[in-house]
Amino acid sequence: MRGDPSDTEVVARVLGGDREAFGLLIRRYETGLLRFATRMLGSRDVAADAVAESLVRAYRHLASCRDPSRLRTWLYRIVANRCKSYLARRDVADVPLEEAPPVADVTDNEAALERAEQLALVARALAQLAPDQREAFVLKHVEGLSYQEMADVTGERIPTLKMRVHRAREALLQVLEDHA
Amino acid sequence: MNPIDPRIHRALDGELAREDLPRELRLVVERLEAAAALLAAAPAVAGLEPRVMAALRRPAPSRMRRLVRWFSIPHAVTLRVRPVWSLALAAAVALLTLVPIDEGNGPVLGDHEGIAQFVGRFPDAQTVHVVGSFNDWRTGTIPLEDRDHDGVWRATVVLPTGTYEYMFVVDGERWVTDHLADRLVEDDFGRENSILIVRAARR
Repeated sequence: MRGDPSDTEVVARVLGGDREAFGLLIRRYETGLLRFATRMLGSRDVAADAVAESLVRAYRHLASCRDPSRLRTWLYRIVANRCKSYLARRDVADVPLEEAPPVADVTDNEAALERAEQLALVARALAQLAPDQREAFVLKHVEGLSYQEMADVTGERIPTLKMRVHRAREALLQVLEDHA
Repeated sequence: MNPIDPRIHRALDGELAREDLPRELRLVVERLEAAAALLAAAPAVAGLEPRVMAALRRPAPSRMRRLVRWFSIPHAVTLRVRPVWSLALAAAVALLTLVPIDEGNGPVLGDHEGIAQFVGRFPDAQTVHVVGSFNDWRTGTIPLEDRDHDGVWRATVVLPTGTYEYMFVVDGERWVTDHLADRLVEDDFGRENSILIVRAARR
């Protein structure tokens, strides 16, 4: 049985006129892109808008993707730029915190509640970071990109990205220790 | 914010085996990894495919529409300028601001043209026009306006230099002499025309 087609194959199909094949790429990458945008923007709804707009943009400019085998980083780059545009327009302090602990339910056990509180704490700390540090940390530790892939996404040099990740780790650790 | 031990960064960057770390540093690494895992595990609501594909099936907006949209939506515009150029730019702006410019914001006039202003008070008028030897006494070509609705009608026009006779035409049928004019002259029909002298605006 033949496995899933590669990104290069799907891109070739789309560019050849098979528009519906683009749905395969959406299903393949939307989870990661949404997670990344949500961490960058602090709101799932805003992130969904940003990613949807980015995917439409990606489709319309698919022919300009020079290396379809690296489609994933190309898509992250489009979403990252969309997030930066949004953040540049928005008040810096206006970072919604949707990761507040969920309302306790009788079925929630103590471990789940503690986990939710920890997540809210980390999300809040992440929201406090400068956008470039937040971007670097999320790409590295949440999306699992290599520094080279991060450089492809952001257009920054690897030493710069390392410095941002280091600063972000220090800031997050500080918050975690303050609340330990 | 305190810098953390560089070995923690190296371990997190995969440059150092964590078995080589002292126990307390290993705990810090695990703590940061646990925080990142929390962020990674939080559910991201998917299901964008129908929305995106519906957008793709719609025809793309025209180039003009996209241009209009681009101009009508706020954008963050970043200009990267070397400090030396920003100083030069500031100096140029200061020069333009400080050096007086003789010409105002009005129309560009030729050597033999001047500006004529017509003002008349007609509180009950619906329309007021000026006619004269400068427009062959044709009505309807130079309207006056009463923007404030205070009954005072005004018009400003550029005319070749010279001496002209003129009158106001109120509501298209009533010919009225401008008695505020410096001079009046009787015409062949027994009416008084006002005299307007247009001088060159340039010196």
